[in-house]
Amino acid sequence: MADMPASFWAGWIVVLTVTSFAGLAWLIFSAYFSKTTFKESAEDPVWDDNLREGSHPAPLWWFWLIVASMVFSVIYLMLYPGLGSFAGALRWSQGGRFAESVSAYEAEFGGMRKLVAEAQLATLHQDEDLMRSAQRIYDRQCATCHGYDGKGQANLFPNIVDDVWQWGGSPEQLEVTLRQGRVAVMVGWQQVLGDEGVEAVTDYVIAMRDGNAAGHPGQAQYMQFCVACHGPGGAGNPVLGAPNIVDDVALYGNDREAIRYAIVNGRNGVMPAFGERLDDTQIRLLVAWLTRGTTNPGN
Amino acid sequence: MNLVDLHKKLEENTGLLIFGILFVSAIGGLVQVLPSIFQDSLSTPSENVVPYGPVELMGRDIYIREGCSTCHSQQVRPLLAEVRRYGPYSGAGESVYDRPFLWGSKRTGPDLHRIGGRYTDVWHRIHLIDPRSVVDNSIMPGYPWLAERDANAKGDIELRMRALRRLGHPYSDEEIAGAAAKLEGVKEIDALIAYLQSLGTTRGPGAVR
Repeated sequence: MADMPASFWAGWIVVLTVTSFAGLAWLIFSAYFSKTTFKESAEDPVWDDNLREGSHPAPLWWFWLIVASMVFSVIYLMLYPGLGSFAGALRWSQGGRFAESVSAYEAEFGGMRKLVAEAQLATLHQDEDLMRSAQRIYDRQCATCHGYDGKGQANLFPNIVDDVWQWGGSPEQLEVTLRQGRVAVMVGWQQVLGDEGVEAVTDYVIAMRDGNAAGHPGQAQYMQFCVACHGPGGAGNPVLGAPNIVDDVALYGNDREAIRYAIVNGRNGVMPAFGERLDDTQIRLLVAWLTRGTTNPGN
Repeated sequence: MNLVDLHKKLEENTGLLIFGILFVSAIGGLVQVLPSIFQDSLSTPSENVVPYGPVELMGRDIYIREGCSTCHSQQVRPLLAEVRRYGPYSGAGESVYDRPFLWGSKRTGPDLHRIGGRYTDVWHRIHLIDPRSVVDNSIMPGYPWLAERDANAKGDIELRMRALRRLGHPYSDEEIAGAAAKLEGVKEIDALIAYLQSLGTTRGPGAVR
């Protein structure tokens, strides 16, 4: 039966629908207009002196109600898909309705959205309505990790309202981060450094931050293994996503244990890619939102 | 035969009445359900849709056990607002390997059909253990025990996969044999996250932006 063609099943639906519809019509009409009446016999039970099995049809307004709904179903099946493969006179479909709403949306907002997507950031910064839209996009898309106040959360998701950017804070860099996401690639160094090396480099990093690293025993290994990404002075490299390790901003914590953990285990912070989830206009608005402090110092 | 006699006959013969009732109520099923069982477009997997791997499958069973579908639907409807919020609308071919399906109709929380890749694994972990530590106003309960229990504690992953294979999921013998190894050391929370990250990673028919 599994290889029955689609046309068989379309016919199946039509035949069953029409037949049961006709059966229903026959039932209703003959119930109300049948000439034959119930033949009373002495054996039939009688209640309350005169109440007996009878053939009186239900009130006539029931009849009209049923007829009205039958008329409705005929009209419906002529206009909309339902009778097998018959698409209905209106050619309505779910996908078609969706496509229509997309093009209606494009027609109404497409022009303006394009303007926003191509606008100068400074222009966007000055438009309060657009900035409110941008904030709503932020609240919906970004705040679950970075927090509604943008100050980061859980020592895992960075603060995006300070001026420290792991992957760079220029509009172009931010756009790449938003579209493609970012994956930090710090590996664990336990195997390479050994136990003593881990402690020495941890101490060296803290000494660098405190400004008294000269001649520190951890320096040699730092200069061998860490310098390529974090730089000789520890200033980091936004192209590689290597953070500055000598400022007082540390995503995973600034205490010795947190630094040691990163050296032993590495860190692989992930920013998901939103290039498929957001359109150009939304990404432009988010870039404007993230850089709004740059042309609007009072904000 | 006139209607009154037929009516009388039906009322006086219980077996006939039962048969009549079943026959009439079966018509709806014969029209609605039976043809769709044989409709290829509903049982053909969409492009890139494959059966869940052992980790994702276990995560899915945990998702069912914890009642996630009570609050989260897994179907993006073909409506503009939903597509703009969640992503492409869901297609039948994406649920071919969902037994039982988890479409749901109740959204206390957001729809999850396109959740895969939206958050990082570490976010899911924190959020599942204590939702309010990352989303202040969340009303979702925490599920801290997921982080403590082994996903394959009962050791029945092979049975689960065999049961699904009997229903037509194309698992190979090697896949089933290697399933337990893949769940080695995997906690329930890891399995659930793997499942969540796999959701909606195949794009449905409404892939428009």
